[in-house]
Amino acid sequence: MNKTDKKIWIYRGLALIVVIGIAAAMFVIGRGHTIYFDNKSAEVGGTTIDAPYSIEVYVKGEKAAKLKSGERGMADTMGQTFDMQLVVTKEKGGTSSRVNVSLPIPYNMDGVILNLPVLLAGKGPEDYLTEFIPTPSAEEEADEEVVTDETGDLMDFGDE
Amino acid sequence: MNKNNISDLMRRFSVPLMFVLICAVCAPVSGLSPSYLANEIVTRMGRNAFLILSLLIPIMAGMGLNFSMTLGAMAGEIGLILVCDWQIVGIPGMILAMIISVPISALLGLFCGKVLNMAKGREMITSYIISFFINGIYQLVVLYMMGPIIPIKHTSIKLPRGYGIRNTVSLLSMRQKLDNLIPLTIAGIKIPVATFIVVFFLCLVIVWFRKTKLGQDMRAVGQDMEVARDAGIDVERTRIISMVLSTVFAGIGMIIYLQNMGNIATYSSHSQIGMFCIAALLVGGASVDKASIGNVFLGIILFHTMFIVAPKAGTVITGDSMIGEYFRVFVSYAVITVALIMYETNKRRDKSKAGKQLALEQEAANE
Repeated sequence: MNKTDKKIWIYRGLALIVVIGIAAAMFVIGRGHTIYFDNKSAEVGGTTIDAPYSIEVYVKGEKAAKLKSGERGMADTMGQTFDMQLVVTKEKGGTSSRVNVSLPIPYNMDGVILNLPVLLAGKGPEDYLTEFIPTPSAEEEADEEVVTDETGDLMDFGDE
Repeated sequence: MNKNNISDLMRRFSVPLMFVLICAVCAPVSGLSPSYLANEIVTRMGRNAFLILSLLIPIMAGMGLNFSMTLGAMAGEIGLILVCDWQIVGIPGMILAMIISVPISALLGLFCGKVLNMAKGREMITSYIISFFINGIYQLVVLYMMGPIIPIKHTSIKLPRGYGIRNTVSLLSMRQKLDNLIPLTIAGIKIPVATFIVVFFLCLVIVWFRKTKLGQDMRAVGQDMEVARDAGIDVERTRIISMVLSTVFAGIGMIIYLQNMGNIATYSSHSQIGMFCIAALLVGGASVDKASIGNVFLGIILFHTMFIVAPKAGTVITGDSMIGEYFRVFVSYAVITVALIMYETNKRRDKSKAGKQLALEQEAANE
């Protein structure tokens, strides 16, 4: 291998490494998650944490959900860190307080359920975060006929 | 300008002129507002331009209309299916799908180029049949290997039987993400600025590529293979590179196309795309051996205006929208047929002219 060929192969190798690097970065920054927010009372370590009257969830400055006690909302997010602002009203007619929350989302989970009252009570992720496992809908479970050739019927001359 | 020149020009631009007439008649009849029409055309320009531009390089290399651009489209679809299953969303999802599609497209382009080198002079029909052959392999991969061999996790993508991909895969997580990356609306018309930037960049690449050594080689090969070979150009290699580039661009173009649509028709998205892209290019005034960037954009405007107004005009004129549907499909195929006939006729006429010229020269030499 002469010097020029060697140079070419080095450039090709570097280009390949750059492309693989970009692909790896896309895997991390582009990972999509669906975040479900629960405003529900929960029991953690024998103590009951009560749900506040309402929680408003803002994601990227936009209102994602307004949850009364016992309700669930959702938002789609991209990346491994989820930032949100919570506006918490403890009692009906009471004053609201704003809380900024930033938390890491496990890579392997498509859907994540966050129990907001537990999160606000300062408990750990093992208490406020659980994986959302969807149950396939009847539509998804119904058998689907695959159409690979749209002109297939043209060759159907019927049974003799 | 003499009579011959005018008739030559008329013959050369007969297809675009015919489409201008069709659009001029159908547009007012359809009753669609100009702003709606403009919006639709701009959207379709962003959606299709990259795909149609991918056809220019093989034409430059004298390989005619690349019917096997569907190979690239299939590679793009495979990239998108995998990315959807991995839940990589938005622009990063598109970039990752492109990175996955490029090696698949390159391999398919390499295969196609090698086969076309064995079928010189019959490139178009060969590439058309190759697209059917690879479609069979694509179906084998997507229908049987995705699930048991290539892991697919999500039930929304996988068929209920446990392997194979559903007829439709939703791309909601990346729908119009590129189009809406730089939002701009002028006079009610939504402009997909980011998509146009990508398309503009490809146009620049094509213009630059034509001036490179490889680009000049391709043009030389396109004009005369034997002369190019005598000049020391590796004709076979140059033709293979043109096919690889075209297939890779088609794969990327398909991803841009599908992000705009918002879903993949797994088994049919790619099959029609080649036909409609080629038809649009020909409508823009291109021929089998000559095409430019201008032809691409004129073709998109005229062909898609016809596509939008024909069903509505059909409904108004006949009371049946299906007439318009049939009409636009019929016109797509007809325009390709006309272009192929014109190409063959011109080739034969040039050959006969050259023969006559040679005979005259020989006669003069004998005297």
